[in-house]
Amino acid sequence: MDFSEEIRSKAKELLESGTVDCVIGYERATDGVGARPLFVYQPNDIDRLIFDQTCTHNLTKYLLNRKDKATAIVVKPCDSRAINLLINESQIQRDKVSIIGVVCPGVVKAGLDNTSGELQDTCRMCQQHTPVLYDFLVGELGLEPDVPDTYPDVTGMEDKSAGERRAFWEEQFSRCIRCYACRQVCPGCYCLECFVERLDPTWVGIRIAPGENEVWNTMRAFHLAGRCIDCNECERVCPVNIPLSLLNRKLGKEVEELFKFQAGIDAETPMPFSTFDKEEKLGISE
Amino acid sequence: MSEFISKQNLLTWLGQLIGERNLVAPTRVDDLLLFRKIDRVEDIVFDFDNTTLSPKEWFFPSSETLFYVDRKDGQTELMPAAIEKETAIFGIRPCDAQGMTMNDYPFLEEPADDLYRQHRDITALIGLACITACPECFCTSMGGGPHDTANVDILLTEVTDGYIVQVLTDKGKALLPDNLLATADVSSPLAPVLSEIPSEGIAEKMRQAFDEPFWDRLADRCIHCNICSYVCPTCYCFDVRDYTDKERIERVRSWESCQSPGFTRIAGGHDPRSTKGSRLRQRFSHKLLYFPNQFGALGCIGCGRCVRACPVNIDIREIIQDVQQLGVKSEA
Repeated sequence: MDFSEEIRSKAKELLESGTVDCVIGYERATDGVGARPLFVYQPNDIDRLIFDQTCTHNLTKYLLNRKDKATAIVVKPCDSRAINLLINESQIQRDKVSIIGVVCPGVVKAGLDNTSGELQDTCRMCQQHTPVLYDFLVGELGLEPDVPDTYPDVTGMEDKSAGERRAFWEEQFSRCIRCYACRQVCPGCYCLECFVERLDPTWVGIRIAPGENEVWNTMRAFHLAGRCIDCNECERVCPVNIPLSLLNRKLGKEVEELFKFQAGIDAETPMPFSTFDKEEKLGISE
Repeated sequence: MSEFISKQNLLTWLGQLIGERNLVAPTRVDDLLLFRKIDRVEDIVFDFDNTTLSPKEWFFPSSETLFYVDRKDGQTELMPAAIEKETAIFGIRPCDAQGMTMNDYPFLEEPADDLYRQHRDITALIGLACITACPECFCTSMGGGPHDTANVDILLTEVTDGYIVQVLTDKGKALLPDNLLATADVSSPLAPVLSEIPSEGIAEKMRQAFDEPFWDRLADRCIHCNICSYVCPTCYCFDVRDYTDKERIERVRSWESCQSPGFTRIAGGHDPRSTKGSRLRQRFSHKLLYFPNQFGALGCIGCGRCVRACPVNIDIREIIQDVQQLGVKSEA
């Protein structure tokens, strides 16, 4: 799959008409195989744009740096849900964003080229091959995939005992180096001051050590409950391979079961995290 | 003729080292390769390009207690942090060993950092020469080389059935018993050939490029995580915090990065490096301009870890090339 030409022609149209002053897309990375984000301001850079199955990054995080500027952005279906999330949470304005949505059969594992066909794990569980919102669509509308089991990783974990799960996560978090790449790449993490950097009161200490790493990772996961759009970026960027999506998807599954809600499917449904109904006691006693 | 140690004798020796000191070596942790304290020789990985994280944490730990203050009966007492056992790091690559020498400049310049000095004093470096290289390696452009002996106590180079041994310092001599060595007529394998990065004259070009919009454009893509700083053998910034308990205060330092939002925020809220571009420029200026100006050597040793680990392909090799070109353009 290669949609580079279609993306370039749309980018050219949007830039030359003055509809936007920047197109955020992808270009080839320095390894000659993978992709990296590209910001195009000038028509003569348009030919650098590519789109194929190596384009794994969720670019929507960058919209938060361009809140008041007319911007075009290339999104895959999972990324498009982040735009709904950000509109729903009043972080970006819909009319500032020109969305070039791409019908996506999934992206390949890191280090593999476009033709390898070996999809990332998260893409094999994906139920959405068409973006949930877009202004322009690249690719053919087709049937959505029929994925019988959407949370095989989570249910696999749920089958383990509490002790096994605790041991698993303790081991995983012990490797965390607190680089905050998971937060920095996440479109749902946009607090001006993250709890982890608050000094007064201090929620988490600066020590890069098991206990504090655990507080950091679990608190971040809770802040994303019902907000994670399952783009897997946190897990992709983690330099020590902590399976962060497993944690986020567990909370996504809980919210889906309790509230019948999936983040980013539309931009209007009130978010469970930011609403409270008296009826929602959720087992908490009177 | 070269000094030679058979594979079997190497394993015997490493086993002896485990008994008498901490032995730190590359080992698998899930699918990562990390320098960890080794309890069993079988856990050591000998066949690798380089480790996921650098060995700097054995000299400059990700978190470390600087000292304790104990309060008792109206008295306060300053307690130094505990000192660890003698340590040998096996399997350090020549680039990483050079990185530790780079860290000596800021940490050992008087007034020296006492804990860092202690870690350095009690640690011997048993290097492994590189037979292969990662695609991102560029040590030969940064003053090092795959078989560089300059910064280790012993260098081993793998040949058939064993290793050529070069004992380079007194520390190394004291570590390796002569009875495990033999002499053999083996020649050292060729060093891998690495791509050349135009680092010559980069400091001056970085100075000229200070006000270029290049940095803001590059920062468009940067997500300002701390990965590059934390995987880097020569990034040495830290933050310090006091942990207060009833009768004890513990002063802790932890890795910190110039890429963090707020790294340079000062009392009153002002941040002299508040823009993403200025933060990104700082990291590369420190490596390629400020460090060479202050200490006379480039602050990057070409291990390629930041290139491998960066989620958005901020590539120091490309930056060096681009900055050299910026210079050319502005001269034209």
